[in-house]
Amino acid sequence: MSKKKSSLGRQKIPIEKIPKKSHLQVTFSKRRSGLFKKASELCTLCGVEIAIVVFSPANKAFSFGHPEVESIIDRYLTRNPPQESSAHQLVEAHRNANVRDLNIQLTQLLNHLEIEKKQGEEIEHMRKARQSQFWWESPIDELGLNELVQLKGSIEELKNNIGKFASKCMMEQSNVPSPNMGANGFGRYDSLDNKFGLGINIAPPPPNSYYLGFRNGYL
Amino acid sequence: MTRKKVKLAFIINDSARKATFKKRKKGLMKKVSELSTLCGIDACAIIYSPYDPQPEVWPSPLGVQKVLSKFRRMPELEQSKKMVNQESFLRQRIQKAKDQLTKQRKDNREKEMTQLMFQYLSADKIMPNISMVDLNDMAWLIDQYLKDINRRIESLSKNGQGQGQGQPQMVAPTMAINGVAKIEDNGQGSNGHGNNVLDMNMDAMQKQHWFMNLVNHGGGGDEAAPLSDVNNHQNGFWQNQFFH
Repeated sequence: MSKKKSSLGRQKIPIEKIPKKSHLQVTFSKRRSGLFKKASELCTLCGVEIAIVVFSPANKAFSFGHPEVESIIDRYLTRNPPQESSAHQLVEAHRNANVRDLNIQLTQLLNHLEIEKKQGEEIEHMRKARQSQFWWESPIDELGLNELVQLKGSIEELKNNIGKFASKCMMEQSNVPSPNMGANGFGRYDSLDNKFGLGINIAPPPPNSYYLGFRNGYL
Repeated sequence: MTRKKVKLAFIINDSARKATFKKRKKGLMKKVSELSTLCGIDACAIIYSPYDPQPEVWPSPLGVQKVLSKFRRMPELEQSKKMVNQESFLRQRIQKAKDQLTKQRKDNREKEMTQLMFQYLSADKIMPNISMVDLNDMAWLIDQYLKDINRRIESLSKNGQGQGQGQPQMVAPTMAINGVAKIEDNGQGSNGHGNNVLDMNMDAMQKQHWFMNLVNHGGGGDEAAPLSDVNNHQNGFWQNQFFH
């Protein structure tokens, strides 16, 4: 049974230079992002001005600044007090309003993502639970040769039936322009919309747990 | 440490704000320091607050000077390439979240479709409540699944597994898998699907033939092939079917 853990979770590591290069790169990437996130939060929560400059292991310069990296660096190096013109403050206010909105948008997205992830886990869980009863739902790699052959046969027959079913449906709507039956994968799903329901039985989602509703674009 | 969810907005209460500032500033400096040590890189931080005319810096005024010089020595393009402010940083994160969401939704849909396919297999019919788009995707999924099955069959056949383990037993007249899907005609009677029982048996016989071939092609007494876990597993499943 191949059980892959998606991540090691939170582990305590000693604060010294990471020996493995690949590990180091990943750590840099993640921590840099986290650092900027914390800096951004500090700015929003406490209304302070910050600049952070870091160099990557490959010597690329990453910088975060609020309101701007450049202005903070200049202010620091020249020891000049900041200019607080009213125009300046207006720009600031406008910018802060934008940031507020963006934060809201981000939070919503992250929530949606969390929900989708949970849904995915649930489906996985359900499938695993069913495998003891329905052997053909097991992952292909876990099936024996004979099981595979039999499953193949059944699925091929299903494929056949689906084809017949589809033709039947198409014929029933010969007056309605038929949909594009291109051989796309799932990439199209997010352009689905219920206008498609013209003349076709789009019933509400089947009474059991499978939801094949159309997903609308997010935000 | 407090684990209350903090609202991401300017803290109105002065003392609360100052307290938060102290804590978070300390945490931020610690994070910069850790990043620098863990990855062996140069870094600096400058913080201006209303609580101090002088900025707070990390690692030290001299250290900051060095890093800033190094930064300023780079060509303008290199300086600005990875430069962000709050807005642009948030936009980046939003884009990343969008991409992750799209992928997750796509994966979930594929999972749901697979479940539906299994449903069809075990229910003997295709429920008519399916849209054309879903139908199309289902057809695609089935093809992909068949591809994977064939690939796996090939690789297993090459390794000479899955032969002669009491095969003849498995060919019961009632196929263990009920799920030979049939179309459910909406009350249109049985056009050619009337003799379901006969169909089933026909399939059974075809498959029996298939299995017998497998057994014979076992490659002349390759019973010495080690019984891998897969095969034992398989036996277990088969046995279950008979006890229905």
